[in-house]
Amino acid sequence: MFRVMLYSQWKWSRLIVLLGSVAGFALPLISVHGAARADSSPLQAPELLHAVQSWGVLYPVLAATLGLLVAIASWTPDHRGRHVYALVLPVPRWRYVLLRFGAGALLLAAPITAVLVGALLATSSAAIPAGLQGYPVALAVRFALAVLVAFAVFFAVSAGTARTAGIVLALIGGVMLVQVIANVARVDLDLVGKLQLLVLNWPGPLAIFTGRWMLIDV
Amino acid sequence: MTNAIEIERLCYRTGRTFEIKDLDLHVPQGAIYGFLGPNGCGKTTTIRLMLGLLRPLAGRITLLGSAVPHDVAAILARVGFVPEQPHLDPMLTVRETLAFHAAFYPTWDRPWAERLRVQFALPDDQLFGRLSKGQKGKLMMLVALAQRPELLVLDEPTDGLDPVVRRDVLSALLEYVSQRQATVFISSHLVHELERFCDWIGVMDDGRLIIEVPMERLKNGIKRLRIGGTPATADNAPFVLLAREPANGTGETWLVREWEPHMATYFDGPGVSLHEVIDLDLEEGFVELLRSFRSPRP
Repeated sequence: MFRVMLYSQWKWSRLIVLLGSVAGFALPLISVHGAARADSSPLQAPELLHAVQSWGVLYPVLAATLGLLVAIASWTPDHRGRHVYALVLPVPRWRYVLLRFGAGALLLAAPITAVLVGALLATSSAAIPAGLQGYPVALAVRFALAVLVAFAVFFAVSAGTARTAGIVLALIGGVMLVQVIANVARVDLDLVGKLQLLVLNWPGPLAIFTGRWMLIDV
Repeated sequence: MTNAIEIERLCYRTGRTFEIKDLDLHVPQGAIYGFLGPNGCGKTTTIRLMLGLLRPLAGRITLLGSAVPHDVAAILARVGFVPEQPHLDPMLTVRETLAFHAAFYPTWDRPWAERLRVQFALPDDQLFGRLSKGQKGKLMMLVALAQRPELLVLDEPTDGLDPVVRRDVLSALLEYVSQRQATVFISSHLVHELERFCDWIGVMDDGRLIIEVPMERLKNGIKRLRIGGTPATADNAPFVLLAREPANGTGETWLVREWEPHMATYFDGPGVSLHEVIDLDLEEGFVELLRSFRSPRP
């Protein structure tokens, strides 16, 4: 059952997974070798840290994008068929959802592995200045967690109908609107800031996306 | 006789205008039950309620002896369903669609599925999304049949198909039913199609079941009577009077249900006589039934 589900989802998300894997593999290599000097002289610690930090912004972006697109692709065949096919299959609904979730999560293993391989290659092939260290496995684990968090969030949102997605968007829009009105009326209300703290700061659910994503650090 | 489908006092409402109210429906085991009704009368909604796709407001639904929606996953393993709209994954080929479906049904008959695929001339490597409408209809019927269901629920399975495809699909269905003694619940607004092979008929309009009878009784029992004179009332009539209207001249035309020849004696009275009993085919009977349901009783 899981095999056919995985195959079905592979057909919908293969392009996303392949492009994500290429990007995931290339990102660590570019971040390290992008800092290399044209005259092949040894890398300096500040330059390397600056390059790794600059490129590091792209890891959470890639993780969120992959999570979003694979989550959407997971539900697309069911949305196309108005969920009729899924609902008349002789499996409990929770099990069907688990099958879809498991298949999507397994497909995301490819770009996660690509990040790990790319990071290992990048750190082993570069001459890292003294005092700095490579953290390829830690970066890949963090990338994996971020991808899975993004996938889980968007999977849950995509599972609903267009109405559910509309309600979620309306809630976000409502918060923004209240903030804008409060600003215009000079009311001391920092709703967005509070929400940001709640969601993006530890132990917020999306805290994994924030902070520095360093392949090489002190 | 046990029933494959039993619905008691089913209620469902969607929006402000449409509701199914106190629907009772009984499909005997082994019957081919035609579910007739005009577009938008609630046939598809009833089917969705039966299969647990929608939750009723009230009422009881039993399929193959088990209650819906409590045991729905176990029930669905014994039910083949062909919906009105194509519902299969458009990115899977015919072969992949069959493999996908087979994984979910322990009773899947692989050799028969392959035989049907060849019989239906379905290209193995064509994506479902790129099949023609007729081919999609055939593939949906194939997956419903190859799981060897005890009950087939078909929602307008031949709607929009050309006569050749329709014949192929229906003959495969009838072959299966004759082999397996399965029960078929087929919804349609194509009256002539149902007339050919159904042995029970239920007619629905505006969310209500108007009539549920064996096909023969419906076909033979609906008559148009040309009556000389004007009977004052139809009280104590042994038949069901559906409609009456003045005919040319002095008489009346009555539309009646559950007519039998010996009932002609009902008109043996002063100033009234039965001139003619006109047989109606199922389509005429269906139209008259709907008309009498929608207009006030005489």
